[in-house]
Amino acid sequence: MLSSEDILTTVSMLQNEHLDVRAVTLGIDLFSCADRDPETLCRLAREKILRHAGGIQEACQRAVERYGIPIVNRRIALSPVAPLVAEHEPETLLRFARMLDAVAEEAGVDFIGGWTAHVQKGMTLASRALIDSLPDVLSETTHLCASVNAASSHAGINMDALLLLGRKIREMAERTADRDGFACCKLVIFANQPEDNPFMAGAYKGLGEPECVVNIGVSGPGVVKRAIERLRQSGEPLTLGDIAEEIKLTAFRVTRVGELIGREVAASLGAEFGIVDLSLAPTPSVGDSVGEILEAMGVRHVGGPGSTAALALLNDAVKKGGAFASSSVGGLSGAFIPVAEDAALAAAAEAGHLRVEKLEAMTAVCSVGLDMVVLPGDTTAETLAALAADELAIGVVNRKTTAVRLVPVPGKRAGDRAVFGGLFGESPILPIPTGASDDFVRLGGRIPAPLVSLNN
Amino acid sequence: MPDYIVSVMARDRAGIVAGVSSALYDLGANITHLNQTVVRGYFTIILSASLPEGVEIETVRRRVESAGSPGELQAVVAPYAPVPPAVAGGGEAFILAVLGRDRPGIIARVTGYLAEQGINIEEFTANVVEGNLVLILSVRVPASLDIAGVQSAIEAVGQEFGITASLQHENVFRATSEVHAVARLRSARR
Repeated sequence: MLSSEDILTTVSMLQNEHLDVRAVTLGIDLFSCADRDPETLCRLAREKILRHAGGIQEACQRAVERYGIPIVNRRIALSPVAPLVAEHEPETLLRFARMLDAVAEEAGVDFIGGWTAHVQKGMTLASRALIDSLPDVLSETTHLCASVNAASSHAGINMDALLLLGRKIREMAERTADRDGFACCKLVIFANQPEDNPFMAGAYKGLGEPECVVNIGVSGPGVVKRAIERLRQSGEPLTLGDIAEEIKLTAFRVTRVGELIGREVAASLGAEFGIVDLSLAPTPSVGDSVGEILEAMGVRHVGGPGSTAALALLNDAVKKGGAFASSSVGGLSGAFIPVAEDAALAAAAEAGHLRVEKLEAMTAVCSVGLDMVVLPGDTTAETLAALAADELAIGVVNRKTTAVRLVPVPGKRAGDRAVFGGLFGESPILPIPTGASDDFVRLGGRIPAPLVSLNN
Repeated sequence: MPDYIVSVMARDRAGIVAGVSSALYDLGANITHLNQTVVRGYFTIILSASLPEGVEIETVRRRVESAGSPGELQAVVAPYAPVPPAVAGGGEAFILAVLGRDRPGIIARVTGYLAEQGINIEEFTANVVEGNLVLILSVRVPASLDIAGVQSAIEAVGQEFGITASLQHENVFRATSEVHAVARLRSARR
């Protein structure tokens, strides 16, 4: 039986705390569309995507009307494109990318992910072709998102791939110099990339996933922040344990709402329900920030002493509440700290409290990594690769997902500002830790997979 | 054995239910459904019981009232007749929450709207604390109604009084407050 207190808590989450579902991401398998003829490949893929995703707007709208919970973003995640377009010419890749961009528009989704290759141990010709296509594809499309898995705990870190990607990132930035290197916002480089992540830019539909599957990103960080504020305003004496309990309870509730909506949309689309991703994903709006959660917990400046510990508490409590709420938890399921996309993090970077070094430390206890970190335009490909290698090493050694989304902004220096707009936000350009490691990066090859025993 | 509906009201104290149920037992009754609540110290109970053939309604009422001191309990007894569903075609359960500064007439206006639409109230609690009103209603909305239209009409009713009124599907509350698997909750629509 529902108690009045439970009902009022939920009403308050809906009315005052903006409980929502952040992302409904429909995974679609495209391998059945493989064809040597470019025309046929594009036609089959377009038809299949629209067959499954054509009704996504309507399905989401029905769920919104039935349950009164807003769905913020609708997305499509494709099976990895690299093996699908193997043996095709670069022109076909670009044509295929433009088709996907147009299909996203037609289906009414804001992003379509899956321009993806896996190169953690080595690179197929198809993966190489996909990486080579990135500057053209990401500068000439709007909705298409790319990701490359360049490291894993099983294979180690492919340093050749990272250096190649460093060069491509520089090219992508130059090609979109008039938009502060915006194309780079749509490429994520991963260690241990999850196959069922609903969040962009790193979403793709993994090979072990169903034919057509709905994955859900839960409500944003605002709900958790307001829960902590409510608790602190109660005037009761509090400990960090009380805050952890409150976060757990809030995570439980938002996860349950995510699963409820996810199952409804999946049933409506005739797709399988996959997972709820517990990640707290900020947006540039004030009040929707992971940084503000840390501040609500009493960390005066995000990036200052205590930040990593507070983030660890937050991340763990979210997972505990979410894991109890649903047996279908997956994806990244950790708080994101994308600097440009999180107003409080961007402000902390502006004030000099949050630096690349501290961000890296914080990513050891949360998801995802050096995400939407905006760098000086003259950052070399070698330095980009070295920064990526550092971040991916944290994931590889700790058997977790880490990732980088680095944006070198052409013509701008540390302290200048980059503005991307929309969900991508804006950020000051962060100074790079001094000292180049070009020689290390240029040695190339692979950093071997780490030992998993001798844990002391 | 015929079924009866019995309702009793009194100032609350320990032992009322024991007295009422013993009185019914002495008449040979078997209680099959019961719901009791206390509002500001006043007790009320409604129950359904089957009684042996030939027991007079007036006898039942007097015996139940005699479970209290003279004049303490007020009982009403009626023969049970099956009730058709209050909402044609079933409909789904929603929670209507109304919150804000209290004023006379809010309950009449809100429930008047529900009545106009044929929306039945299945559970209802209202409390005013320090001038602030909290109404929580569990209602069944006929499937024939456009839920978005009902939701905006209810919000508009709230705005007339400068208070918030919102209608949400019961599953949202069950999902956030209960521990059953969400999949089970969706398949077991009530």
